[in-house]
Amino acid sequence: MSDVDLRDEAPTGWFPVATEHDVIARVVFRGQLDGRELAVWRADDGFVNVWENRCLHRGVRLSIGCNDGNELVCRYHAWRYANRSAGCTYIPAHPADAPSRTITAQSYAAVERYGLIWTTTNGDEGSVPDIGTLSGPRLLLRSLPVNASPQTVREHLGSHRFLPAALLETGTAASADDAEVVADHGESWVTITADAAGESSTAVFFVQPVDPHRSMIRGVLADAPADEIPVLRHHAYELGRLVRKIEEAVEEPAERTPPRGFETPVILPANPWGHQRATLSMVVDRKAAVAADIALFELVPEDGSTPPTAQPGAHIDLHLRPGLVRQYSITNGPGETDRYRIAVKRDPHSRGGSAFLYEAIEEGDTIEVSPPHNGFPLRRNIPRTTLIAGGIGITPLIAMAQALDASGMTFDVHYFVAAPQQIAFRRRLATYTCEFHVGLTPAQTTDTLLDILGTPTPTRQVYACGPPPMLDALKAKARALNWPADAVHVEYFENTNEIATDSSFVIDLARSALTLEVPSGSTMLDVLRANDVPIVSSCELGACGSCAATVLGGDPLHQDVYLNDAERQGGQVVLTCVSRASGERLVLDL
Amino acid sequence: MPIATRETTDPVLDGWHPIAASGELSMGEQRRTRLLGEALDIEIDLLGNASVARATAPAEPLPTHDRYGYLWTCLGEPSIPLFEIPEVDEPGRRVLHAGTIGVHVSAPRAVENFLDMAHFPYVHTDILGVEPFTEVAEYDVHIDSINELWATDCVFWQPIAATTSTEGQMTDYEYRVPHPYCVILYKTSPIDDRKDVIALFCQPVDEERIEAHMFLCLLDASNSTAMIRDFQLTIFGQDKPILENQYPKRLPLDPRAETPIRADKVAISYRRWLSDQGVTYAVIPA
Amino acid sequence: MKLYDFVLSANCYKVRLLLGFLGVSYDSEVIDFHPGKEHKGEAFRLINPLGHIPVLDDDGYVLRDAHAILVYLASRYDPGRSWYPVTDPERLGSVAQWMAFADATASTASATRLHVNLGYDFDVDERRAAAHELFRVADEHLWFGERTGNDWFVPGPLPTLADVAVFPDVVLAEEGGIDLMDYPSLVRWTGRVKQIPGFSVMPGVFPFERA
Ligand SMILES: [Fe+2]
Repeated sequence: MSDVDLRDEAPTGWFPVATEHDVIARVVFRGQLDGRELAVWRADDGFVNVWENRCLHRGVRLSIGCNDGNELVCRYHAWRYANRSAGCTYIPAHPADAPSRTITAQSYAAVERYGLIWTTTNGDEGSVPDIGTLSGPRLLLRSLPVNASPQTVREHLGSHRFLPAALLETGTAASADDAEVVADHGESWVTITADAAGESSTAVFFVQPVDPHRSMIRGVLADAPADEIPVLRHHAYELGRLVRKIEEAVEEPAERTPPRGFETPVILPANPWGHQRATLSMVVDRKAAVAADIALFELVPEDGSTPPTAQPGAHIDLHLRPGLVRQYSITNGPGETDRYRIAVKRDPHSRGGSAFLYEAIEEGDTIEVSPPHNGFPLRRNIPRTTLIAGGIGITPLIAMAQALDASGMTFDVHYFVAAPQQIAFRRRLATYTCEFHVGLTPAQTTDTLLDILGTPTPTRQVYACGPPPMLDALKAKARALNWPADAVHVEYFENTNEIATDSSFVIDLARSALTLEVPSGSTMLDVLRANDVPIVSSCELGACGSCAATVLGGDPLHQDVYLNDAERQGGQVVLTCVSRASGERLVLDL
Repeated sequence: MPIATRETTDPVLDGWHPIAASGELSMGEQRRTRLLGEALDIEIDLLGNASVARATAPAEPLPTHDRYGYLWTCLGEPSIPLFEIPEVDEPGRRVLHAGTIGVHVSAPRAVENFLDMAHFPYVHTDILGVEPFTEVAEYDVHIDSINELWATDCVFWQPIAATTSTEGQMTDYEYRVPHPYCVILYKTSPIDDRKDVIALFCQPVDEERIEAHMFLCLLDASNSTAMIRDFQLTIFGQDKPILENQYPKRLPLDPRAETPIRADKVAISYRRWLSDQGVTYAVIPA
Repeated sequence: MKLYDFVLSANCYKVRLLLGFLGVSYDSEVIDFHPGKEHKGEAFRLINPLGHIPVLDDDGYVLRDAHAILVYLASRYDPGRSWYPVTDPERLGSVAQWMAFADATASTASATRLHVNLGYDFDVDERRAAAHELFRVADEHLWFGERTGNDWFVPGPLPTLADVAVFPDVVLAEEGGIDLMDYPSLVRWTGRVKQIPGFSVMPGVFPFERA
């Protein structure tokens, strides 16, 4: 075998990589196109995902993982990747962290046609071949692998013979060698019409380039015989003969070449500066009343793409008009990745956002939306989770409930509302352990919260979202009952700012002559990006070192795992994604 | 390409590598094995002395060392002494070879997997881990004065930590990497204040294949050798299909390669430690 | 009931699988097959002079050979007679046919695994090629089964000993360097076997769902 770069003659365009029989529910199919291994799986909503067959974490084949219907779960460390967007939604080793949005598997476009799953790994150019012959009734034949190059296979297909389907159904004794055939060579397929005893059948044989020495012949018969099995058997037999003939004729090695691309490690695309600030134009695809004064909005990207992955607890910023930005929790369950669903309550006292959205925005309107941000990540390593919602505060919790349910975790929901007609998501909640607390006074609410909390145990945690007085009461009662602070997670849905969790300090950028303030709740990387200072990042977890900056003055407070002790003590370098200043100021060589 | 024909300062060439479990070699036996891409012949004379030579002429004898129950050799200048495991001389310990298994993976990938706790609930379900106890708590990593890499203060909840377990326990781990392809684990014993010692000595057959030699130095006096081996082979047998489905097979040392997380702190350090020493064999250099 | 057993043995796994499907409890008598070669030792020769595992001891009745043990267990402990359909001559014949097929996978696919894992000396290229020929035939058989609503090696509503006998060598084949990518029907069938109630894994075999 020579070392020629076979990519020169590598086919471009769309090819079948699987049949509809291969992508059945809850299965991950391993396919290969032009040397590239693919994990192909169908989600419960019908969507077929075609991804590079490697987990971003450690390069383990995703095809040995688990298709849970909504997400693909890696076998090694159970990282979860979402249907459609291929974004990572959960990393069990760090249950309290929201995975960085850069952790998204490489996915390819997929189209189902003629009973086959088609994809292209060379960009989205071109399209699935339009074969008029197959527009009517058809029968998917058994695909057969061949240890020969696609070129060789296409050449030999010209001499392929079979009998018309009508003869097979009547059990005629004719031989395929008696059929008159006409072969028509397309770009990557061969159409064969066979005539015998006054009958005729046409079949199209697509050649899938597996690697330079292997191919898959995927045949489709342009007919729908009443009795399929004899026809399928005849074709499997005749094609099997052809395959043996081809393999005898070629001297190519039957040995598999290692999958192309698998020799290079997975490197996440660097997240260019400014990327995070981009907004996405989204169209209101549906607007519906779901409870008194609560409307559900379904937002889909205007360009038909898949929106960035949202994890349970995440919110998006809606840029309603200049100066009017409002945050809404995403209510989607796992795998519901083609749109964002948000619920909006019309608040008569609201100063703009919700009232504007509720009243003025209609189906078909376009809104600028920032990608999801998760400041309320959900642990899935707690034996029992309690979700407490007050009013419209149900929105992040309904997403959490669906994620916990899909992961088979035990949880209960408590939903406080002023009146029964204000209950949203009623049907979904009915399938969970859910208690409604309707029309309670503040004192009754506090008593009920006390009951719900009970004695703290290490095996239980609480997530709550609702009006500030309710959350304040919850926190006070939790303290009184000796709940550890990190076991009670709250999100103030009326507070549009991040909850301050850390120090604030100033960074001086020596080369840019800029002085920037890093407020609590923001990272240096956030601030640098917001000020258009070019800096690359990758993991944004303090692990890869991509976003390192040289320190010229001040003491860094290192919070990464990348730097070694010497570098830490030297204080000459800092990772801008997670680390901070230990004092009031850092001077960076940027 | 065999490492010896490379123009290299790779310390792997001058290091000692295990090529057989001594107890499996019998007098008068001749056996062929592979190390760093080269075929080697092992011969045991009638006095039980082992000699090792390249299978290709001239068959000059290679240095050998019989240590920890394994026969070790070196293809270059044996200038790097073999690491010490002082526990083997402690009273009350059982030193035993749990088996040798061939794996289609590079030695550093196998070492990195051995250093990994996060996969316990998923790969060693109901033995070394179980959901929902999936969190990897912060632990410490350091390089000691003799350039050995350590991960200390590691803890993980385990349903059956060892053959001596009767119930689940929060297990304390310490990991030690004294050699690019060898890794030692010190693990809370369910029955003793001292720690069980479990090691993986990888014989790098070539850049993408190993013979994994499993060494134990345990505080378990009651279980049969068969039971102890059964436990270790079960664990390693569970890791094997993961390792064989990992690509690329060589370990990438570029810190941007793959997606490390905080739980991978020791793996990140291991990759850097290999880089800093100039290891090029069985890795993809940064 | 006692099974002389080794955790990494595909043949012992056949027996463990069936015991699980039948819901029969047993004790595993661990034989130090590797690295101890206990099955070749003098003590074990008393139990099986051929020096092979598995061996079953059912209250004093001692039986060797995985397939013989499968036949015995199904005949004794499956009141429904579905695993070994003695009342249906054609299905019974098919079960025997595919159990013989499993003998062929044992000497090919399973041999390559012993070569890779434990260093057994075989002409591994030849055995891999032979295993691929067998898998092509099995994949086609199962593909037509899928078209006609048959989930198992022997057509019928329930699995038989044929499925138990063939499963370990197929599901462990990649350990022997035999890529299953070209046999999607065979891979799908392994997924169906994994969903039979009572299914158990062994090291090297993943459960159908995440555990
Ligand atoms: Fe492991």
